[in-house]
Amino acid sequence: MKKIELLIVTTLLISLSTGYAQDSTQTELNKSRLSGTDASGNTKMLLTAVAWFGFQAHLNDTVKTDVKNNFNSYGFSPMFLWKLSDKLFFESEIEINNGEFELEFAKLSYSLNKYITIGAGRMLTPFGAYAERWEPVHIERFPNAPLRPDDDLLPDNTHLFWGAIMGVDVRGGIPMGSANMNYSLYVSNGPSLAKDETGALLGGVVQYENLDDNNNNKEVGGRIGFLPFSNSSLEIGFSGKHGIAGDEGDSAYKNIGATAYAFDLNYVKAFKPLKSIIGIRSQFNSVTIDKSNYIIPDDSTGATYTFDNTLQNYFMQVSFRPALSKNKFLQNIELLFRYNAITPPKDAVWGPKDTNGKGGTITRTDIGLCYWLSWRTGLRFAYETQKNPDGEKNNQFLIRFATGF
Amino acid sequence: MKKKKNILSIVLTTFLFAVIINSCAPTSKITDKSGAQLWGENCMRCHNAPSPADYSDTQWETIGMHMKLRANISDVEREKIVAFLQSAN
Repeated sequence: MKKIELLIVTTLLISLSTGYAQDSTQTELNKSRLSGTDASGNTKMLLTAVAWFGFQAHLNDTVKTDVKNNFNSYGFSPMFLWKLSDKLFFESEIEINNGEFELEFAKLSYSLNKYITIGAGRMLTPFGAYAERWEPVHIERFPNAPLRPDDDLLPDNTHLFWGAIMGVDVRGGIPMGSANMNYSLYVSNGPSLAKDETGALLGGVVQYENLDDNNNNKEVGGRIGFLPFSNSSLEIGFSGKHGIAGDEGDSAYKNIGATAYAFDLNYVKAFKPLKSIIGIRSQFNSVTIDKSNYIIPDDSTGATYTFDNTLQNYFMQVSFRPALSKNKFLQNIELLFRYNAITPPKDAVWGPKDTNGKGGTITRTDIGLCYWLSWRTGLRFAYETQKNPDGEKNNQFLIRFATGF
Repeated sequence: MKKKKNILSIVLTTFLFAVIINSCAPTSKITDKSGAQLWGENCMRCHNAPSPADYSDTQWETIGMHMKLRANISDVEREKIVAFLQSAN
């Protein structure tokens, strides 16, 4: 066993030192170039932020006592970026969302060489492309996020592919001939089995956003991205993560593991014949939690049940913007279409059910429009139709004004 | 036994990364690209391309570091894009 540990350490040292050796020429060049105000160590700080305000109308709600339209969201997220030296960087974002205050992320990174940056802290989940790249409200073209396994559909927010984790990561971008690849590998506190306010398990729902760990096992995960074309128009990503979700010392659940994977795709290209920019982005997520026995809620006998605990979710978005048109109004219009689906475990006691009490797929079709007032400020509109397994349809109209500054 | 397999997988993955990192040489299609071209190609992958005039030279340096981490662009791409934005603002 000790031999294997020695092998790991040796391999890591060789990997890191060879990467550094390859970069030594560039490092020397940097050293000779640095002088005066450009010298390493001069702190360069930038305060930036995003802000948003939204409206929601439920269109087919027939219950007389329900509120059918509402200015439903507001928020402000200042982001602090500190370049402490050419190698050391700190970034943090505070999110104030509908009055709730949260430290979204706070991460310190050190660039070991051109290809390897090590980071530590609270960081956006490097699983799929959505959390790190597409979630910020001034980047998200729609007035809301894609349909996702959160507490609107399940007993708890899973944070399967969004939100933040606590841990360390290694990342970088690497040119490969005429293509590019990038990687993010991390170790984090990992998932836990979600519980209600009384501490009772929510029957196999997993929660990924944990400030404190519930066991001594750490989750290992990451994402590999590949950009096959020299113009970087297409990126395909594969992500995976695995960790133990059960509480330390809980004899019944301590070995329950959660394994997840995701595929993401992003394609953005200007098509001159159409005088437009076409964008396609998509992400597929799947998580499987090891089988176990859970207590049936509201059953006085304490009986248990088990089920295949796999949840799958995806969305696909297409955007069309005549940005190359001579008409200034058309240049700023972006038409959007998004299709979303979630399939929770069919035999779980939680999640939307069909008329026979079985789980099924929830789908949502979103048609939207974004009018860009500047490159970072947009007014978004969407008409969305959600269809539940029991056939019930929920239609809503949304507006969001979002800006980055 | 399972633990040993996992450890060996980590070792092999790390070794593979070391080989890739040390053997990749970009072609002239990549190295000949200007900062302006890289700015157009990379920024719009996630958001609209910003105007160089929106930030100062110092601010672009900081944003370059942020985008290197967020979008995992390579160090060479970051340097060229930042140099272009600083020269055009």
